[in-house]
Amino acid sequence: MILQIENISKTFETGSHRVQALDDITLAVEAGECLAIVGESGSGKSTLANIVLGLYPPGRGRLVFDGAELPDQRSLALRRAIQLVQQNPLSALNPRRSVGASLRLALDVHDIGPRAGRGARVRDLLAAVGLDPALEARAPAALSGGQRQRVAIARALACESRLIVLDEPTSALDVLVQAQVLRLLHRLRQEHGLTYLFITHDLAVVRNIATRVAVFQRGRMVELADTEALFSAPAHPYTRALISAVPVITEEEKAMRDRLGGKP
Amino acid sequence: MTLLSIRDLKLTFRLWSGPVEVLHGISLAIGKGERVALVGESGSGKSVTARIILGLLQEQRNARISGTVEFEGRDLARLSARERMSMRGRAMSMIFQDPTSSLNPVYRIGPQFREVLDRGSPGISAAEARARAAQMLAEVSIREPDRVLDSYPFQLSGGMNQRVMIAMALANRPALLLADEPGTALDVTVQAQTLDLMRGLVADHGTAVLFISHNLGVVREFADRTYVIYRGRIVESGPTAAVFGDPRHAYTRALMAAQPRLTGGGLPDIPERDPAFDAPAIHHAAGGAA
Repeated sequence: MILQIENISKTFETGSHRVQALDDITLAVEAGECLAIVGESGSGKSTLANIVLGLYPPGRGRLVFDGAELPDQRSLALRRAIQLVQQNPLSALNPRRSVGASLRLALDVHDIGPRAGRGARVRDLLAAVGLDPALEARAPAALSGGQRQRVAIARALACESRLIVLDEPTSALDVLVQAQVLRLLHRLRQEHGLTYLFITHDLAVVRNIATRVAVFQRGRMVELADTEALFSAPAHPYTRALISAVPVITEEEKAMRDRLGGKP
Repeated sequence: MTLLSIRDLKLTFRLWSGPVEVLHGISLAIGKGERVALVGESGSGKSVTARIILGLLQEQRNARISGTVEFEGRDLARLSARERMSMRGRAMSMIFQDPTSSLNPVYRIGPQFREVLDRGSPGISAAEARARAAQMLAEVSIREPDRVLDSYPFQLSGGMNQRVMIAMALANRPALLLADEPGTALDVTVQAQTLDLMRGLVADHGTAVLFISHNLGVVREFADRTYVIYRGRIVESGPTAAVFGDPRHAYTRALMAAQPRLTGGGLPDIPERDPAFDAPAIHHAAGGAA
């Protein structure tokens, strides 16, 4: 087990308004798995991601990472160990820096590998995510959305992280590009034994990339199951409602949706 | 009967770096009351096509448009800017991807709705506009129309704002509704309800719809006929069942194959670009044969 999420709750207050974003979440992330957190807006899935990343502390409960409790203030080593790939890579990469320099910065900040070898390492990382190493001199704006997302993934790889949080990593991409980026993520997880916490609203993506699925609704985890089990016999009415709302393109999917789905 | 007919539409933008042709000869037709989808990825030209139909790009000085766009038998190029403007919001209207940012944040829904109705019925009284707006909101299954009319957009949910947009877009009984990625910004359960609602309403009103989307699943569930657009060209068209059941063009096949399936099956290796994607268009006949 890499990460144990224990009884995490989080409430946001704005003036007179209180929102319970997370309500007593307990969940373990196992080494090497791709655990999907699925939910709609307001489900708390991004709040959970942000707490795992240490962007803000949980209101209640604790996180145990590699056997030790995670502090609210994260050390450099802990920040290296848990990396984020977010939905919009353009906002994740410094626009004034070449993508090679952004990757190099990650290696320098965390002092990864011998200094003399870092230039070559940057080009290896680009190649590992299916990019031409010659792109290292380009600014993020000179790359396509799919290429930028590959750079963001390369940066997480550079850190040799124990856990990668993927927050809607392909939601802003075209379908042909999405397919390639999902394939890349899947291949990297298998080749490098990576562990993913995959935040998404897209059940069809989940079906094809996750090993386990946690379904969130308004701050509560309503179902947790292996991917195969969830899509053969969803237990919670909300999971069934979500499945019934997925737009599908084949008759087989339609039949499956009609068989499993509840009322949206 | 044909409501909208587009023939060999080309669009070139004159930029500092030189002219860039973004539509290379699009032809499409929409019959009265028909639901037609234009499906493609970003940069395919689907949204600029909608802006030309609305007569908006014609006003832009660096856009050069050739080919014909006929709406209700009238050539848009022969209309003045004023005539094209008078069509918008009356004979044709549009709903956008993000309803909340399409509504004016500093006015309540009621006055915004009245402005829409005033385009169709100039000089409509406040009382009459309110009654008609409330009736339209009831048609989109809004239970408390009066509360909504007295609200600002930020006080309503995204799904509620989308319903308000649909009600406004249909308020003047347009012959054609342009829907650009409607519901994409919404949760899937809300999106499904919104599309159901829209489908029912356009059927009741006999409104034709040009439904612009990148989402194959949504298109399949909404449209009678589908055009697939790729880099400024139509590559495949036909009845939706034929295009989805028997995709013939390499690009359409790639799009379908790349779509993750709810039934699983993994992630196939589909190239993002392929010379075969530029092959000539395939048109399925209404009967089903290509």
